[in-house]
Amino acid sequence: MKPFSLARPRDFAGAGKLAKDRRFRLPVIKAGGMDVVDHLKEGLIEPDLLIDVLRIDDQPEIREADGAFHIHANATLANIAASRSIARRAPVVAQCCASAATPQVRNVATAAGNLLQRPRCWYYRNSQFDCLKKGGHRCFAFDGENAYHAIFGDGPCHIVHPSNLAIGLSVCNASVRLTGSDRDAVSLADLFHMPDRGLLSEHNLKTGEVVTEIHFEPRSTSAFYAIKHKQSFDWPLVAAAAALELDGDRIESATVTAGAVAPVPWALPHVGEALVGVSLDDDTALRRACATSTRDARPMSDNEYKVRLLPVAIRRAILKAAGREVMS
Amino acid sequence: MADRTMPSRSPLPNRPMNDGIAMSDDANRLDGVAKVTGSAKYGRDVMPKNGVFVSFIRCPWGHAQARSIDEEAASAVAGVLEVEITGREGRYHGEPIGHIAAESLAALRRARSALNIEWDPEDADTEIGSPEASHDDDPDGADHVLEAVYTTPVQTHSSLETHGTSIDHMGDRAIIYASTQGTFSAREGMDRVLGMPQSRFKVVCEFVGGGFGSKLNGAGKEGLTAGRIAAKYGRPAWLFCDRAEEHLDTGNRPSSRTHVRIGYRDDGTIVGGSVRTWGGVGVAGGGGGVVMPSNRYDLGRIRKQHADVRFNGGGPRAFRAPGHPQGAFAEELMIDEVATATGRDPLELRMKLDREDERRSMYELGARLIGWKRRQPTGTQASVLRRGFGIGSTSWNRFPARADAEVVIHPDASVEVRTGSQDIGTGQRTAMAIVVARQLGVPLDVVHVSIGDSSLPAGPASGGSVTATNTSLAMLEAADNLKETFLERIAAQLGVVAGALKIREGDIMQDDRRMMTWQEACAALGSAVSGRGSRSRRSDRQYSGSGHSMGVQFVDLEVDSETGVIHLNRIVAIQSCGRVICRKTAESQIIGGVIQGLSFALFEDKLLDRNTGAMVNPNLEFYRIAGPADMPKIEPVLWEGNQTGIRPLGEPPTIPTAGAIACAVFNAVGSPVRDLPLRPDRVLDAIEGGRS
Ligand SMILES: Cc1cc2nc3c(=O)[nH]c(=O)nc-3n(C[C@H](O)[C@H](O)[C@H](O)COP(=O)(O)OP(=O)(O)OC[C@H]3O[C@@H](n4cnc5c(N)ncnc54)[C@H](O)[C@@H]3O)c2cc1C
Ligand code: SF4
Repeated sequence: MKPFSLARPRDFAGAGKLAKDRRFRLPVIKAGGMDVVDHLKEGLIEPDLLIDVLRIDDQPEIREADGAFHIHANATLANIAASRSIARRAPVVAQCCASAATPQVRNVATAAGNLLQRPRCWYYRNSQFDCLKKGGHRCFAFDGENAYHAIFGDGPCHIVHPSNLAIGLSVCNASVRLTGSDRDAVSLADLFHMPDRGLLSEHNLKTGEVVTEIHFEPRSTSAFYAIKHKQSFDWPLVAAAAALELDGDRIESATVTAGAVAPVPWALPHVGEALVGVSLDDDTALRRACATSTRDARPMSDNEYKVRLLPVAIRRAILKAAGREVMS
Repeated sequence: MADRTMPSRSPLPNRPMNDGIAMSDDANRLDGVAKVTGSAKYGRDVMPKNGVFVSFIRCPWGHAQARSIDEEAASAVAGVLEVEITGREGRYHGEPIGHIAAESLAALRRARSALNIEWDPEDADTEIGSPEASHDDDPDGADHVLEAVYTTPVQTHSSLETHGTSIDHMGDRAIIYASTQGTFSAREGMDRVLGMPQSRFKVVCEFVGGGFGSKLNGAGKEGLTAGRIAAKYGRPAWLFCDRAEEHLDTGNRPSSRTHVRIGYRDDGTIVGGSVRTWGGVGVAGGGGGVVMPSNRYDLGRIRKQHADVRFNGGGPRAFRAPGHPQGAFAEELMIDEVATATGRDPLELRMKLDREDERRSMYELGARLIGWKRRQPTGTQASVLRRGFGIGSTSWNRFPARADAEVVIHPDASVEVRTGSQDIGTGQRTAMAIVVARQLGVPLDVVHVSIGDSSLPAGPASGGSVTATNTSLAMLEAADNLKETFLERIAAQLGVVAGALKIREGDIMQDDRRMMTWQEACAALGSAVSGRGSRSRRSDRQYSGSGHSMGVQFVDLEVDSETGVIHLNRIVAIQSCGRVICRKTAESQIIGGVIQGLSFALFEDKLLDRNTGAMVNPNLEFYRIAGPADMPKIEPVLWEGNQTGIRPLGEPPTIPTAGAIACAVFNAVGSPVRDLPLRPDRVLDAIEGGRS
């Protein structure tokens, strides 16, 4: 680890200024620090300035205004999961936070840090592999150990997006508020990009842009469902978020996003369309609509199982959103 | 500050079945508080002042030659004392090709990157593969033949305290703080590298953070290298692995492949056949044995052949019941496959095949406790969640080992138990205190244990479940000898005949009259008295008893048939270990064995990248180990059987778990998953009709 300076700005605007400060070669923002410290330890980043924003608490962690939720960038996953109001009015968000990692991680992990954490690809995380994402010439997962990699996307990098929170938020018309540039918000959908649009980073924030808040709309009939190999301290194999509007048992509209299957939260508008008009009592129709989720899937050598899991996760997210038994 | 004291006794766990069996029902682990508060110092925690830090230079690929190494640049890094390259070829990820010694861990890291090694990778074999079996003709008298291949992955020990040694070099003498399973064997070769006679140094390991067999390697390369550096610079030296190195180069349970071709009759009787096993030993010359058949079941005449297969991986070391869990997985699942093929209940079939009457009674109890009656025939469920029940069995013999002990009564009324052999987390410290307290007749509170120090009486290395069984014999003899001397001296003071006195709860009694309190008696001694004992043919005859440890485990689980995810409900582990010393640590050994077994069954897998041979999961995130939310309700049952004396307990409870789980999954989904770990994709493949 190389020595670095540590700054503790009083507000996010100050953090934005520091992040643009030309005197530093690589300023890095640290919130909960879980992912940043992992990177430092593995030698994946060598910042000369660490900007610690964790103590910035200029707003309450969670507030409701204008019919929307406003979450402070530093709100912890644990507190989001514990919010009664979010659990009632946007259960998908509470659930995706509650299902991430472990209680210890959730107590430290911040909302912005969770959204902007780097991918978990084991070649990326190991400094000895100079893969595409680190400026190298090869994706080691492509013809290597890719059981936990993407089944969607054309590469050239095959990571899956790591953030649970992003999956949940993506069905709630979410956006992140920014400081430090000429724009003050970006929609969640525009926050992330596919690898063909840039390999070295997964998001579209410009230098000096800092997340201050996350906005999202309530979705009272919504849910998150993750399929995990291990129930403690592990990542989903496949996850799904669904937000519904129901007319009795009939789906009037549905927004569905899949997680752990693509380099970004994988919106599935055509699944939403296929679900319109489906009665929750008609399981055959429901399964048929969910099965459309894998239409464009192109699994790699070791992750074909994700193609089988995806419709299951989506169907269960839908049933869970509707308050039904998922194991039926 | 919060109250950090914990009573030496506390309420019993709610398992009435185990009440009143052990010598002590309510004693707590003596070092429990020290361990959870961090006051217990492990070898890794000892960083002697003015120490030199040492680390290995390791090959990052499965097989590679170092074309260029910038030794000069690394040596020039501030704080670096030396860089030594001992070879240029790395045959597995993590193989040392030299070492660096420096003034700090940071300097070590800087020097490692300054080496700027350019590697020429070569082809690497990353797994055991599918060696061909040439099987003999079908066994005589068979109505049917089952041919199947069972495989298990490489499992790493993942000791929480990594391997290594800290040496406090004090010129003409030294203390070696080793993380070891053998206080005495950790001295081997140290005299040579330190240039000191064994009389001038000692090994200390008061606390050891796990080993599971991987720390049975004498001084180890970590210790010997640290020793050489310490001697060369005449300074303390510290060399401990980091988490990745721990996964890469400190041994493992070798992968296995078991190919059976076994004949059976319509009634489920197994008439024999052939069993071919292979063990994946990395670059090692051997150590891949698979214990299959176990000899617990009557399988007719089995022709067994074994071969070790080499590939570009770190070599195996003993791992809690070496060869057994792999073999038991194949054997139990094979038996269930025969049972299912012949329409028999696996419990009933085991009652028939098992050679041990006592285990039959265990099966009956286990079946009752798990609710075997609710088991549905294999392959008959169509619901999303499918319930499965499975069984496994275990056995372990007692092995003799050299052990000495000394017990001292001090004038301040404290009793010191002295044993050089180590407590690797099993509860040995607590167990020996209980054995001595009981034999002397004093309360546990007055007993203190000095342990894990090569200047104390010698004891065995902890492998093969020999520590408690053998050391306890020495303790019993030492306590009896001590009691005799002690009472003689007290009798002389009181002017009574020695034979007339007894110790009861610490009081010195003549008939039913208290002559002196423990405090008074000890104070009257004036000086300490001690008694010695050893494990010998004599103490063995007097104290050891007979029989061997055995057990059965029953599993109740559910499989989510749409996701392949396994949810363990309950595991009942019935285990005999003769005379139970400490109820809580005994239960804990059983629970720990089950946990390691279920983690092996469901999760663990040292995965080498197929192209580069590098391990892709050398940490505790990607290398999956069962966590709290993966735990079933584990119910250890201490079995009071025909065994007398103190019997092995460390290894047997981890043997049957994986097999029992695999059987339960088979029961739930209708086709066997013959490869560990039982990953969701494999379970789905099995459900969808043997696509694997
Ligand atoms: C074992 C384990 C299991 C896990 N499982 C899951 C899981 O199942 N699901 C899941 O979603 N996560 C999981 N996590 C990841 C964990 O949730 C993230 O590491 C955590 O949320 C990161 O938050 P942080 O506050 O610590 O971020 P930091 O490490 O502080 O920051 C992460 C990134 O965000 C940037 N950043 C932080 N705040 C801001 C800001 N205000 N503006 C701009 N940039 C910012 C940082 O520069 C950095 O790049 C797991 C982690 C572990 C260790
Ligand atoms: S998937 Fe992406 S991060 Fe992983 S090895 Fe390939 S390029 Fe690197």
